[in-house]
Amino acid sequence: MKHNTEADVRTDTAIKILALFFVAIIFLAFTTSPIKTGTKEGERAPPLEGMMYNGSGWTQFDMNDYMTTNWTVGDANGEWLVVKFMDTDCSFCLRDAGEFGQVADYFMKISEENDGSPAWNGPMVNFVASATELDIQGHESSRAEIISYRDKSGDSSCAGQSCSSRGGDAHNFMYIDDLDQENMEEWKIPGTPSYFIIQPDGIVAWVHSEHPQEKVSDGLFRIFNEQGLMPDE
Amino acid sequence: MNENIILLFYIIPLLVGTAFMTRAGDAMGVSLAGRYPTLVHRRRRHLLGLNIVTLVGFAISVHTLWITNKISEGGEVCSSATVFSCDDVLGNASYNVDPIFGISWGLIGMFAFGTFLFMANSVSKDPDARWSGQYMKWGFYLTASGLLVIALLVSYEIEMEKICQYCTTAHVANVIAMYGFWRASKMHEDGEWKDEEPSSS
Repeated sequence: MKHNTEADVRTDTAIKILALFFVAIIFLAFTTSPIKTGTKEGERAPPLEGMMYNGSGWTQFDMNDYMTTNWTVGDANGEWLVVKFMDTDCSFCLRDAGEFGQVADYFMKISEENDGSPAWNGPMVNFVASATELDIQGHESSRAEIISYRDKSGDSSCAGQSCSSRGGDAHNFMYIDDLDQENMEEWKIPGTPSYFIIQPDGIVAWVHSEHPQEKVSDGLFRIFNEQGLMPDE
Repeated sequence: MNENIILLFYIIPLLVGTAFMTRAGDAMGVSLAGRYPTLVHRRRRHLLGLNIVTLVGFAISVHTLWITNKISEGGEVCSSATVFSCDDVLGNASYNVDPIFGISWGLIGMFAFGTFLFMANSVSKDPDARWSGQYMKWGFYLTASGLLVIALLVSYEIEMEKICQYCTTAHVANVIAMYGFWRASKMHEDGEWKDEEPSSS
């Protein structure tokens, strides 16, 4: 008796290919633990790159240079990173500039006790501001304005007032030129200011939008406390 | 082991598979005919070559996905300061997933080469089936449409000024598979499909 065997060949082949596919997936599942790239807590922070101004000139910045890939939770030697997305013409950013500068000086170990020792003895925290130019009328910015905002110098105008008259002292942390909004788009920033705390291994540890009641300093203290990284009193 | 040396484990079978689909395969088929008599037939050699190439494409796609996952964990697999640095390409979150669904390119490669392998393997098992000619054509169209994806990925590499050697090998496997499906389809149309046909081109 004649019968059609064509379907058998294809079914047999399909089963073998699917088996191969599942073996590959099982292999991947057992040998890797992929971490999604994104800006939610627990995800790997997207790239942050650009020309950086640190008070002396513009040089290349790459966030990866500040990361320790083999860092483990509880290791006090790793350097943390606080990233702030801001616009020199954003009034909320201007209002926050003074306090944020103080927090940065404290955790970057620039603030000192009376005896000259650093006021903060915990893990080193680097601070970086990614300065963008929002697509809003009156928010035109430039590198000169970024310098003026950071150093409180020059005669550039920030949100209708002289940048040099903003609150607080001159900042000691780095400013990245993100006038083309490349980093902002990469990090899917809805508005400024936006704050992130990045672990030494590049994982997002804290996002301000997920803790609106918490300030950056509160977030750092809480995380260091949870990870046993608070210095002995 | 150095990742470039591991890459040779893919490149060598890829070359062997390609050879089976070209004139070089004729001589190989004759010399191997004593041990594997079926290789004396051109169609069988060609389909064996196509199966090897698509299998290598599948395997290298799995490896690419593995590298992508490892980099996301924070590891370094094939990082290099030279232009050949798959870590820089596969670790770039802006480019390592497709722009529509956000699926890793390695996984897309697994699906694509899995489909090509299914087609090539089905035809190998039943070359005289009614659908065999159609499968060869579909294989050709699918691999040809893959050229658009390859062009997109190459544009990413140009933008990054880095080349992912694993991805490039997978792209080459796609191009060779495209040739393989096209040649098989032509053989089918030209009546060079039967085992009784002369073995040389």
